Amino acid sequence: MMSLHGVDVYLNTSEFPNLPQEVGSFSLIFVASRGTRMKPGATDIAWPQCRYFSETEVTDQDIENLVAKINAAGFQWTKCQKLFKIDGVNAFSQPY
Amino acid sequence: MAHKVCLIRGDGTGPELVSAVETVFRAANVAIDWVEVEAGLACVEAGKPIVPDETIEKIREVGIGLKAPMTTPIGKGSVSPNVTLRKRLDLYACVRPVFSLPGVETPFKNLDIVIFRENTEDLYAQIEYMATETVAHSVKVISESGCEKIIRAAFEYARKNGRKKVVGVHKANIMKVADGLFLRTFKRISEEYPDIESWDNIVDNQCMQLVTKWSIYDVLVTLNLYGDIVSDLAAGMMGGLGVAPGANFGTNCAVFEAVHGSAPKYTGMNKVNPTALLLSGTLMLDHLGETKARADIEGALKATLMKGVKTYDLGGSATTSGFAEAICSELKG
Repeated sequence: MMSLHGVDVYLNTSEFPNLPQEVGSFSLIFVASRGTRMKPGATDIAWPQCRYFSETEVTDQDIENLVAKINAAGFQWTKCQKLFKIDGVNAFSQPY
Repeated sequence: MAHKVCLIRGDGTGPELVSAVETVFRAANVAIDWVEVEAGLACVEAGKPIVPDETIEKIREVGIGLKAPMTTPIGKGSVSPNVTLRKRLDLYACVRPVFSLPGVETPFKNLDIVIFRENTEDLYAQIEYMATETVAHSVKVISESGCEKIIRAAFEYARKNGRKKVVGVHKANIMKVADGLFLRTFKRISEEYPDIESWDNIVDNQCMQLVTKWSIYDVLVTLNLYGDIVSDLAAGMMGGLGVAPGANFGTNCAVFEAVHGSAPKYTGMNKVNPTALLLSGTLMLDHLGETKARADIEGALKATLMKGVKTYDLGGSATTSGFAEAICSELKG
């Protein structure tokens, strides 16, 4: 059975995004570029993938609220991908 | 003064191969100050990452490394040490030269091609999701900056090494957006190199032409997945992964490696062919400016093969260390 636990928000920026670490039950797990974790100050970032995750199950509305906050902070998102667990197991990859 | 080089001895047969390279380098009077760094299964067994942060930092600091084959553990959550090194060090250019070796019989005479494979993006970004319970989704990321770096590297290499032709390899007839970006970038950059003939090929056609018209090709440049497949195809044309060298270049860092696996079933048997790692080592010597040592070692290797001294994969009976000693004899002769 699928349960919703987070979202990868992809941003239109080539700089490391200064995003909120905690939003509701979500934590910012990492910012990655092309599948590799980036540290603050990193350069050569392409289309950063920002993972917000909650160990407890969340709703579509929680994700919409999160994305609205990111938008309000001045970031343009170009793609969002929901993160599911299937039978309690993460159903998505991790970056290097 | 000795060149400082980070050394990863690897897993399985890796340490035996490294010993063979060290033996030949000593005989060629190449002064290397090896800085041993840890990575691979021993790290995993000790509860560390397969490539510890200290190893990444040391290679970044020294700027150059030689890596023997490592084993990717099978199981949930395991990561490839090779991909980890490429991604963490941003080694964006995988360079795979393939060329005919005397005494290594193949149907492909006078083979001499260098393949540039983008190393850090494409499907190898490994961004994957289960979109539903029954549908998987893998994200192919292609950036203009990633394309530009690998394409420029290929043209610069061609110009520096007297190569006359660069071919861009893609599948833009199907993936019109992602591969289309690569193709547009290839055409734009090729205009900066009017002294080098260039054209593009669709990857399936390129594979067919490699085995039918290999002699017309010089330098190929392509995306990560196609590069992975095409370079191993070309390695087979050269005589197999046991003889095919590889190098990975970033902006400030380079790691040289044999592209074959660690062959764990042959561990300790002194059996595996050290040619691929040795030729990766001679690419490294060239990078270090040791062009004479490179020529000497490659000349001795070819002389050894010409005399019929070969390891089992090439139909011979020489051991790993025996093959290295035979090369040393040629160097001293």
